[in-house]
Amino acid sequence: MKSIAFVALLFCAIGFSSSNNLICNTPELDIPKEWVDMTHGCIGKMREQVLEELKASMQYMAMGAYFAKDVVNRPGVSEMFFKSASEERDHAIKLIHYLLMRGELTTNISDLIKRNLVPPVTTWENVVSAMKAALKLEADVTRKIRKVIEVCEHDTASNPSNNDYHLVDYLTGDFLEEQYHGQRDIAGKVSTLEKMMKDHGKLGEWLFDKKVQAGEL
Amino acid sequence: MKVFIILSIFCAAAFAEDYCYKDARRACGTKLSLDMKNCTAKYGAIERAEASLQKFAYHHFIRSFDYLLLSTHFANYQKNRPGFEKLFRDLSDNKWHEGIELIKYITSRGGEMQFNDVDNLVESEDGNFDLHEITAIAKALDIEKKMANEASEIHHRIWHKSVLHDPEITDYIEKEFVHKEKDLIRKLAGYSTDLKDLLNPEDGSLSLFLFDEFLQGNKLF
Repeated sequence: MKSIAFVALLFCAIGFSSSNNLICNTPELDIPKEWVDMTHGCIGKMREQVLEELKASMQYMAMGAYFAKDVVNRPGVSEMFFKSASEERDHAIKLIHYLLMRGELTTNISDLIKRNLVPPVTTWENVVSAMKAALKLEADVTRKIRKVIEVCEHDTASNPSNNDYHLVDYLTGDFLEEQYHGQRDIAGKVSTLEKMMKDHGKLGEWLFDKKVQAGEL
Repeated sequence: MKVFIILSIFCAAAFAEDYCYKDARRACGTKLSLDMKNCTAKYGAIERAEASLQKFAYHHFIRSFDYLLLSTHFANYQKNRPGFEKLFRDLSDNKWHEGIELIKYITSRGGEMQFNDVDNLVESEDGNFDLHEITAIAKALDIEKKMANEASEIHHRIWHKSVLHDPEITDYIEKEFVHKEKDLIRKLAGYSTDLKDLLNPEDGSLSLFLFDEFLQGNKLF
């Protein structure tokens, strides 16, 4: 019996080593690297920022889930947070696309995203406190984007220190633009909601939710 | 004995209908803070399914990130396979949105979402996404089979192991996952077959170009 298995194994080995090999590798390429000119410190910051956007995304996801509960029942607010979660994910993908466009992300791809992203907070006292937490979260993301810009504008990790004009312009014109508009929008909503709730508490919150759901705020 | 059990279930159901009403009557005229804790959307077998649905939803997000990494990998200038990039991006988007829909479903049945990798899915796998075209397809096929099995387990848990019959949950699982996974698994297995046949020493490199071009124009969902 053993010898039969051995012969079978031998046949398999011969079969696989014959000319019909399954070729999974693509040939080694020799593409000039001169155009790949992002610097080390800046790349590192950009990669970190991808993860930051995804962390923010999962935090929004937890907000959406909390306000979707039947015993909380704020469907408008919940949907708003679910949308924000997908928007943050889109930001991460935009950053990834930028890095790919500049010839990056050819190595260490598996470390780019920590796949188990548990949101740190999952319950809130009320809508106001969640919206305030969202505003703080956005401010934190903005601060981190500014930090990426700082590093990429003056990357001292490379010698001589490097200014990545194009990326800095992209982050400033595209990302910060969206951050500031988004922050103003949330701050305005917090203001409206707090005023609606001043004398009327839960009635104000209930009405706010319906207004958000109908897209009237 | 059986009659007794059936009777007691009926009684429980009958009482359940009154619990919220009783809560509400008791609450009227008392302090506002009094809980009407029986006035939730929970009924049927949702409590038996809740934990596994939470896990299932969270696994969707993990898989969405897995596919995003694969999509990114095939989009770098050395790989340069826009078709594979699109395939894995479509899978990533799909898992993301299905994850959100699952959270909404859990809450529609009076449950809540828990974000946690309780099964240590991430740590139990090798987590390498620097893959060749055919091994990436193989990985996706394995992932989708795991997803399909997880859906089946939830179905089984409700259909066979729950005292309370809850056709709403089993129907939801069938409609949203069981049939869709079947199609997806078949498609990925087909891709795997094609690549296995095409990747010979003579045709391999050009085959991948043509297969990638095919994927660019092909709709996964």
